[in-house]
Amino acid sequence: MTDIDLRGFRVALVADELINDGGAGFDVLGALDEAGWGVVLLPPTWYPDTTATPLLDAIADQLHEYNRHGYVLALVGERPGLDAALARAGVPVPPAVRAHTASELRAKLADIASALAPRDAAAAQRGISADPARP
Amino acid sequence: MAKVAFVAHCLLNQNARVAGGAYCSGVYSPFVAELRRRGYRLAQLPCPELAFAGLNRFWAVREQYDTIAFRRHCRSLVAGVAGAITAHLERGDEVVLVGVDGSPTMGVQITSSDAGRGGRPEWEDDADLSAGRGILIEELLAELEARGVAAPRLTGIRHAPGDALPDRQREALVSFLEA
Repeated sequence: MTDIDLRGFRVALVADELINDGGAGFDVLGALDEAGWGVVLLPPTWYPDTTATPLLDAIADQLHEYNRHGYVLALVGERPGLDAALARAGVPVPPAVRAHTASELRAKLADIASALAPRDAAAAQRGISADPARP
Repeated sequence: MAKVAFVAHCLLNQNARVAGGAYCSGVYSPFVAELRRRGYRLAQLPCPELAFAGLNRFWAVREQYDTIAFRRHCRSLVAGVAGAITAHLERGDEVVLVGVDGSPTMGVQITSSDAGRGGRPEWEDDADLSAGRGILIEELLAELEARGVAAPRLTGIRHAPGDALPDRQREALVSFLEA
């Protein structure tokens, strides 16, 4: 294990077709990686509902935890059923990001990440304060 | 026919890791690059620890998670995963699974074990590694068997700090993917 936790406190929910089918016309996963965002990959739309629904519910539960700790969240692309799963978990839908190029995606993600204020053990380990008024 | 790799959640999202265990900001890119270079589509397993024990969970060994409640949680997660693996197999896709060795929940060949672990946290790194599977992996294999679905080939990798997979990890992964 490392002594210092290197997480970025930034998590993007990403539609399957944008990662696996090149649906955006550029390398979305590469752009997210370069920008330091973690990826939560949404299930493909062709999965039967009996399979997709529990997967989306599990994702919503995880988002609830990120939300609770002040991580920055974003939604890249769409996934039918996601809004309902988030509602069941009481989690707001993250801000949606649409971009035509990798640089545009990175710029929009940077705007969202400017609100970063994590409140958890990993942030404390890295000396990141949730309160901007505190050093 | 597509090649699909179901990968441990944290390999795409290090933010899910236990505090002190995130080796990079987000995507564990050297590992993902190996899969993509070989034409694998990615599917992501849920992190069984994150939603159950939270972001501020302590480091834990298998025995600490091996409770009836945690196994019930894992079974609810693997129901969707087993359905997804089944759906890919029915399309004729090749499916592999890559867990995280050393993990109490996602280990494939190596988990962490210490029957005496408990109380105030204080222990040495890696002293608890032992052969065996993590709990979610066990529950997933049991669910697939119950459904009469053949288990995919599976392996585990260990995380390491930095931008490159350690040579032994890379060799093991490549050997697995090309088998």
